[in-house]
Amino acid sequence: MAHRIIGKPIGRVDGTEKVSGAARYSGDVSVPGLIWGKALRSPLPHARIARIDVTRAKALPGVLAVLTAKDLPGILVGRRMFDMPLLARERVRFIGEKVAVVAAADPDVAEEATTLIDVEYEDLPAVIDPEAATVAGAPVVHDDPGAYEGAPAERPHANVQSVLRFKLGDVQAGFREAARTFEHTFRTQLAHQGYLEPHAGVVAIDEDGRVQVWASNKMPFRLKELLSHALQLPQEKIRVNLTPIGGDFGGKGSLMDLPLAYHLARVTGRPVKMVMRYAEELMAGNPRHPSVITLRTGVSRDGQIVARSVRALFNSGAYAAFKPAPSVSLGGASMGAGVYRIPNLLIESFCVYTNNIPCGHARSPGEPQMVFAEESHMDMIARELALDPAEFRRRNLLRDGDHLANGHHLEHVRAGDTLEAALKASEYSEPKPGPWIGRGMAMTHRHIGVGFTNAVVRLGTDGRVTLRIALPDTGTGAHLVLRQVVAEVLGVAMDDVEIELATTDDFATDSGVGGSRVTHTGGRAAYHAAEKLKAQIEAEAAKLGVPADSLAAIARAAAREGRTLEASHFYDAKAHGAVTSFTAQVAEVAVDPQTGQVTVRRFTTTHDVGTVINPLGHQGQIEGGLIQGLGFALMEEIKTEEGRISTLSLGDVKLPTIQDIPPLTTVILEDPVGPGPFNAKAIGEGSISAVAPAIANAVADACGARILDLPITAEKVYFALKEKERRP
Amino acid sequence: MRAFEYAAPRTLDEALAVLREHGDEARVIAGGTALVTMMRQRLVSPGYLVSLRDIRGLDRIEADNGGIRIGALATHRDVETSPLVRERLPVLAETFRRVASVRIRNMATVGGALAHADPNQDPPVTLIALGARVEICGTDGRRALPVEEFFRDYYESALEPGEVVIGVVVPQLAPASGAAYVKFLPRTADDYATVAVAATVSVDPDGERCRAARIALGSVGVTPIRARGAEGLLAGQRFGAELLRGAGEAVKGAVDPLSDHRGSAAYKREMAGVMVGRALTRAWDAALVSARGTR
Repeated sequence: MAHRIIGKPIGRVDGTEKVSGAARYSGDVSVPGLIWGKALRSPLPHARIARIDVTRAKALPGVLAVLTAKDLPGILVGRRMFDMPLLARERVRFIGEKVAVVAAADPDVAEEATTLIDVEYEDLPAVIDPEAATVAGAPVVHDDPGAYEGAPAERPHANVQSVLRFKLGDVQAGFREAARTFEHTFRTQLAHQGYLEPHAGVVAIDEDGRVQVWASNKMPFRLKELLSHALQLPQEKIRVNLTPIGGDFGGKGSLMDLPLAYHLARVTGRPVKMVMRYAEELMAGNPRHPSVITLRTGVSRDGQIVARSVRALFNSGAYAAFKPAPSVSLGGASMGAGVYRIPNLLIESFCVYTNNIPCGHARSPGEPQMVFAEESHMDMIARELALDPAEFRRRNLLRDGDHLANGHHLEHVRAGDTLEAALKASEYSEPKPGPWIGRGMAMTHRHIGVGFTNAVVRLGTDGRVTLRIALPDTGTGAHLVLRQVVAEVLGVAMDDVEIELATTDDFATDSGVGGSRVTHTGGRAAYHAAEKLKAQIEAEAAKLGVPADSLAAIARAAAREGRTLEASHFYDAKAHGAVTSFTAQVAEVAVDPQTGQVTVRRFTTTHDVGTVINPLGHQGQIEGGLIQGLGFALMEEIKTEEGRISTLSLGDVKLPTIQDIPPLTTVILEDPVGPGPFNAKAIGEGSISAVAPAIANAVADACGARILDLPITAEKVYFALKEKERRP
Repeated sequence: MRAFEYAAPRTLDEALAVLREHGDEARVIAGGTALVTMMRQRLVSPGYLVSLRDIRGLDRIEADNGGIRIGALATHRDVETSPLVRERLPVLAETFRRVASVRIRNMATVGGALAHADPNQDPPVTLIALGARVEICGTDGRRALPVEEFFRDYYESALEPGEVVIGVVVPQLAPASGAAYVKFLPRTADDYATVAVAATVSVDPDGERCRAARIALGSVGVTPIRARGAEGLLAGQRFGAELLRGAGEAVKGAVDPLSDHRGSAAYKREMAGVMVGRALTRAWDAALVSARGTR
């Protein structure tokens, strides 16, 4: 069926106000009497707090409040496992942990006051390395993690937060069948999401005691629940107001400074704003987990994978609080199976406490780490077997009806088509244009997110349509997609649909943004609400005897009878469906043998997708994820030395710039079988994870150097080449 | 950031007087690209800022005895786009073009960058290779010294309290000479160099042998340096891989890089050797073109 608006490359309407500075983010919210909060952070990775003296800070003119843990309830916070104090109590567990917080009308005064707080620490032995953290006798980060609310039961070591397992068949029997077995270990780095807007929030307490919150948080209703728990207030006492969010990439789902802003507001009687500096983001945000991943794969004589065991160690840092999944782990570990049918599989994933920055969710949590390891491992095996990496993959790809280790049963599997399309578009089999040039591929797949959303669609007496939601736009253009859905269903122009942002007072619930779900859940809620409104309009038109497109007349007629034409829908997708989306990517790189520098000459990305609602937004998601993947592959790294982060600005943690982006080729295989509106699937997390292994495999192809730890720096390639010269 | 007083005097004398009056509490501000960042990070907390931006004539770029004189308040973008610089010393325009982003280059000044004495900057490397001199003014009068003598330590220059940089004088290249600036950026195009090398090469009129060469490096220690040892190897020699390797080895012995997120000391040392070879090759090629032009 041809659509009027679905599938059209409609540009963003919020762009102008964002680039001109007119958009009001949480950090721009201003209310009368607003003051600022600033935090003092621990300079030590693990220490006992012997004494805190706030006398000098309190004496600084302009300081309105100074709070330490003893001024606050002993509540512990988290997204699923509640193990983090609001301010460090007796003990600090990472460099950057908040120890005290100051309020002043002038943010510079508040910051100055934090430097006047005297804290006496007694060093405790710290554990920095995740492998060292799980040996007997390692310093223990939390004395009794099992006692925390939300803590998983299995705990092989006091420093293990969670264990996640995926199993198929009998892995030991599988390895006994194998003709050859391969084992490799990979490491990935600590990486920040890189959103431009740091965490920001404003908390104001109304005269009637209601708490008003403006926050760069993508899940307003979950935030309300978490705040209710953290502040020990009933949920009705809290209202979360939505603002534009300046980038999320998985990182904007935590409480961060909001409870502290509340307590400062409580003691000062003034609204309080807290905005993290970027140095604080890099020191104490909730970045992507570093990992150590070992894969072992058994292969039959004809190149079929018969068994695989995977052991992943994610360095979670000092608290588990930032992980939202019930498993208190990273679902991406399941990608240890790759896009392959593996009859006998065991994946074991451990999230481990250390005295480092606590990690959280980042775009496709755990997947870029696991897919780097898994897809590098696939190429290494193919080379050992003297098989073309594409052919080795072909022999093992998932097929219709296969089951994944996480229980999903698959239909509409287009793994093979996706791979072949990538090989063709990238000219993978053509002769290479010169020496020191290589090509590498990698594949992945990703499910379509689930969740629940409320939408209300209303026809105004001017004939315009309003979509009311409490789902923030994190910068993805989600609101534009929702407007397209409503405009398509109701047969009106895009300009005649506007978004009205509700608050948490206006709906019962909403799962918010995350897991590539918004087009699916928000889109379906908007779709069904619009369908219901359309039925009302048609009934009214029939009654009035006017055409159904006389929208203003129909709405006015209803208004004269005191009625508003409005329809609502609550859409709830509980379980993942049987459809997934495959990605195949091919990198072509050049390696400078004198320096080890890797230049990506071209990059091909191929996606098996559902109906594309907005090709511009869709392509933006593909390219954005790909560029993030490129940064993860080649340059982004938060460096730490004994738990101290030495790269505290974006001048040091380098994100890719426009100059770093290679020529891109995108191939879309559209297959309208998704659960989203108009059979859309998801795209937001499809392009990030395979980039690093595609580049690693291309580097190995170009120069023979196999880099097992990210990022793939020129220095690592250079010394790997030197090593090869020495021991050819 | 701590609160501060701000003054923007109209004349240099006035600025110097204010500086003298406020002593250690005062800092000079021009573009502010470095100073404001350091103030925000509380690395420096001056009580008094003396802006040079209202002093007239301090931003001129003009011909000077066949060379070029660049006023301290000229921005990086001014130098990059100056027709005079592009015509007479294209390597200098190219070097300034490699600094940060156009937004930064529109603000950052030539004098401010020198006074900042960050060993990872681009312009000092080329200025040293070109034999430029920095002009300094204090209440006791003016002085000038070679750029290579201006940097004393990590973020430390030869400026005495109360002195300001007022300009830099860059001599024209000798006939039959070429120059090149090589900025090694293995990570992203928008970064400080992992290693930077500038070289000038003068050749005999017949283009056969090197008459003289100057080599300077940045991001290889606490200050930009001049590699005199390597320069000495080149005089009177014919171009060739062996000569470049020798120069590279000499440079590797002369540098003392710091390990950081742009590379380990060992890697930067190796790359200094490689990049010297590349800079000399390009400078030599340019010298040959120049020699043919003068014949």
